[in-house]
Amino acid sequence: MSEDRSRILNMLAEGKISAEEAERLLDALDARAGAPAPEAAPAGPAVKGDPSPLLEALPKFLYVKVIAANGDNVDVKIPIALVRSGLKLTSLIPSQAMDEINQSMSEHGMSFDFTNFKPEDIDELVAALREMEIKVDSSNGDTVRVYAA
Amino acid sequence: MRIPPAILDLEITPEDGHRVRVWLPLFLMWPLGLSLVILALVFTILADVVLLLLGRRYHRYTLLLVRSLGALCDTRGMVIRVNDRKAAVNMTVQ
Repeated sequence: MSEDRSRILNMLAEGKISAEEAERLLDALDARAGAPAPEAAPAGPAVKGDPSPLLEALPKFLYVKVIAANGDNVDVKIPIALVRSGLKLTSLIPSQAMDEINQSMSEHGMSFDFTNFKPEDIDELVAALREMEIKVDSSNGDTVRVYAA
Repeated sequence: MRIPPAILDLEITPEDGHRVRVWLPLFLMWPLGLSLVILALVFTILADVVLLLLGRRYHRYTLLLVRSLGALCDTRGMVIRVNDRKAAVNMTVQ
C-alpha cells in the first residue's frame, strides 16, 4: 500500500475526512498513478486531470479541541488560510510596533521573534501543519488535541 | 476570489437554558465596508507616497490594509464552540 493511500485511510479512520472525500482522493491517486481504480465506476474517477492540487490542498482547517475533566470543552475550527494570512501580516507590521509585540510576548513567556519571519518560512510552516497532530492528555483528565484536516 | 464573511451566527445558552441566537447578515454591511475601505485606501496611498518621498523606510500601509482585508475574508468557515458549566457559546462565521 502506498504511503499516500495509507495516509488517506488513516485520516478516514481518524474521522478527519469523510468517506466521500476519501473516495475522491483515492480515485485521484489512482488517476495519478495511471492505474485503473478498483471496481471503477462507469463515470470514471471523480477528479480528472492532475490530482496534485487536490492532494496539496487537502487540509483546510486547523482544529483545536479541549475537553476538560470537569465537562467543559472548547472546540475551535480555524481556516488554515487565516493562519497563513495572519502570519504574512506580521511581515508588514511596522518595526516599532513589532518590537513592542515581541517584547510583550516575551514578557508572557513566548520569546518568539516575528521579525525573522520570511514568506518562504510561512509557506513551509503552513505546509508542515498538514502533518501536525498534537495530543495532550493531562494527569487530571484534561485532553487537548490540535490537528489540521 | 476572496469573499468577505457573509453571515455571523452567534448562539449563547446560559445556565438557565434561556437561549439567545443572533444571526447577523454581514453581507448587508458590505457596501458600507467597501466605501470605508476605499476611503482608507486613499489615505494609505497618500501616506505611503509621502513617506516614500520623505525617504522613510516603512511605507507599506496600503499593503498592510489590503492584507488585513484578506485576513478578514479568510475568517469564513471559522467555528468556535465553548461549553462551560455556566454557559455554552457557539459562533460560526460563514
